[in-house]
Amino acid sequence: MRKMTQLGFGARAGGRLAAALVGAAMLASSAFVGAASASELTVWCWDPNFNIPAMKDASERYTKAHPDTTFNVANITQDEINQKLQTQFLAGVTDGLPDIVLIQDDNIQRFLQSFPGSFVPLSDSIDMKKFADYKVAAATYDGKSYSLPFDSGVAGLFYRTDYLEQAGYKPEDLQSISWDKLLEIGKDVLAKTGHPLISMDYNGDDLIVLMMQSTGQWYLKNGKEPNILENPALKTALETFQKMAQAGVIKSVSGWTDYTGSFTSGQVATVPQGVWITGTIKSVPEQSGKWRVAPMPILEGVEGATHFTSNGGSSWYVLASSKHQDEAVDFLKTVWGSDVDFYQGILINQGAVGSLLAAREGAAYKASDPFFNGEPVWQNFSDWLAKVPTVDYGTFTPEARMAVRAQIPNIANGGNIDDALKAIDAQLRQQMQ
Amino acid sequence: MAQTRLDRSEQVNGWAFVMPALVLLGIFMIYPIIWSLWMSFQVGRGANFSFGGLANIQRLANDALLIKALTNTCIFFFIQVPIMIVLALLFAVALNDPTLRFRGLFRTALFLPCVTSLIAYSSLFKSMFSADGIINQTLLTLHVIGTPIPWLSDPFWARVVIITAITWRWTGYNMIFYLAALQNVDKSIYEAARIDGVPAWARFTRITIPMLKPVILFTTILSTIGTLQLFDEVNNITQGGPGNATLTLSMYIYNLTFRMMPSFGYSATVSWVIVVIVAILSFIQFMIARDRRRAS
Repeated sequence: MRKMTQLGFGARAGGRLAAALVGAAMLASSAFVGAASASELTVWCWDPNFNIPAMKDASERYTKAHPDTTFNVANITQDEINQKLQTQFLAGVTDGLPDIVLIQDDNIQRFLQSFPGSFVPLSDSIDMKKFADYKVAAATYDGKSYSLPFDSGVAGLFYRTDYLEQAGYKPEDLQSISWDKLLEIGKDVLAKTGHPLISMDYNGDDLIVLMMQSTGQWYLKNGKEPNILENPALKTALETFQKMAQAGVIKSVSGWTDYTGSFTSGQVATVPQGVWITGTIKSVPEQSGKWRVAPMPILEGVEGATHFTSNGGSSWYVLASSKHQDEAVDFLKTVWGSDVDFYQGILINQGAVGSLLAAREGAAYKASDPFFNGEPVWQNFSDWLAKVPTVDYGTFTPEARMAVRAQIPNIANGGNIDDALKAIDAQLRQQMQ
Repeated sequence: MAQTRLDRSEQVNGWAFVMPALVLLGIFMIYPIIWSLWMSFQVGRGANFSFGGLANIQRLANDALLIKALTNTCIFFFIQVPIMIVLALLFAVALNDPTLRFRGLFRTALFLPCVTSLIAYSSLFKSMFSADGIINQTLLTLHVIGTPIPWLSDPFWARVVIITAITWRWTGYNMIFYLAALQNVDKSIYEAARIDGVPAWARFTRITIPMLKPVILFTTILSTIGTLQLFDEVNNITQGGPGNATLTLSMYIYNLTFRMMPSFGYSATVSWVIVVIVAILSFIQFMIARDRRRAS
């Protein structure tokens, strides 16, 4: 209700009455909860093959130790979560909001900064040193960290060994290469097998993000200023993308289903993507043994370039409006923040590489995966995870990504990169007003 | 005296009856409209509002994305609406022919798209027009094209898909209006024309169209408003892409509010831009129709 007054609309009698009623209702319900100690925590997350089963597993573990606490894990799409949070925070109404919510890393700062006080600062009660640095940094605002870091977007180059073999390449040939080298390989693969190197939705910028973040650069400087015109990483990334598009090694797709279909149906030779794509790749058992994972190619000639980058990845947040705040925090702390055994389970079952560094010592992380030719993929991913350069996503990442997306088709068709950068910069500045 | 008292009690009763509707209309329609006008002068992100005077209007003038959205909307408007209106007219006249067999079947078939949900048909179009979709496969099999058409990833073809989709969805809707109006046209006019030896095409342009003019005007205004509010199709089929080629005004407002750092004041300003454009276009359409009536 405080937020309503902050908005300056508080003078309306209706608002006051409503505030009083809601206030009374909240008092009544908290009294009720106080009387009966059993409580149900509501969780919102979105992927039925990934974060939902992981959360269910975690909640079952917690309920076993604390029978009074039960969970309701709801399947709500990411777009819907963002919309609902945004609308309700703005209206100052917290009815119907969950206790715990999953939010993607590059989207959280706008919530933390536009609606201060809406989330519980978890760094007050949980030691954030236990998690990968860049994950914690993404949700840190004003000296406090608000997230329980969950899945890592640490990325690798998934590739079809059979297609590459036909083109005359061995797994060693893909270790520690540059994007330019990958392009050469892509041309060979296309010429000899007819398979494009990668697939990409020209309405998205995942590939650019993967390339750019590997150098520690982002679309924004210090999270506030556009970092477009003077950003060699972005320029090189766009140039590399253009070379690939012009060489015809990119299969253009439209939408997520099209994108996943392009590799589950065996059309493309490689998939440079965050580790969370593993579940989708492994969803086709017939392709077992045909895949391997190499480190990401390097963006050659750019200062700070590494083989480690990330895309996507999300974290858990406790809403300040939750009536079961303490339980929610305790749940995240005990299961998500320290249960190494739990992380082994979701790794095996969902392919979820968490951000808890201690989980890397578990048995499952050491195991090799026959789907990937017996490679110790999990150990690799978690080694890379610790080396992903930290970037400050800032508040305006959605605006920046939209501005970049607007130029992607043009760049793919051979448009001038400097002009595109100017257009991106102009649109971003306009949208940041 | 008695008369006045009765009048007054009738008036009180009358107002009492319409009051519930008026109050609801006031709360859920008029109040939000006035509020959005007030919002359109507010600047700031998220929950931090402050009065910005004409700042949002200045921002409008320099907003390249708004111009892009406006251009796209105009392209859809100037290409799609005429195609749809002409198609609807032709279908209506054809289906009005009493000698045509299975008229009911054809009418139903043409009207059926209007009862499908916007989301459902958009998803269907998206899958039909995807790179490996049924449209490309059919065209490839028939050797109409040599390589698949990038329907959804090329700016030009993406617009073609959107226009095709809206036309499919709304032609039948407009056709029903024309069919209804045609039923009211006196058959003796056509009979007289036929006896005088007026050819079929002239009967269509000289009799049918003038008789339907008020309905054509009505459907044109409806389509204008509909096109300016275009959202569901682009959001589901192309997401405004590729490269903002199909970004519409409504989609831009949605992005400003929900996809980006929320800028509610500015989104309200853009919404009012739509209101102003609809008002101007409707006015122009009225004027054109009125002038023609006076001239003839």
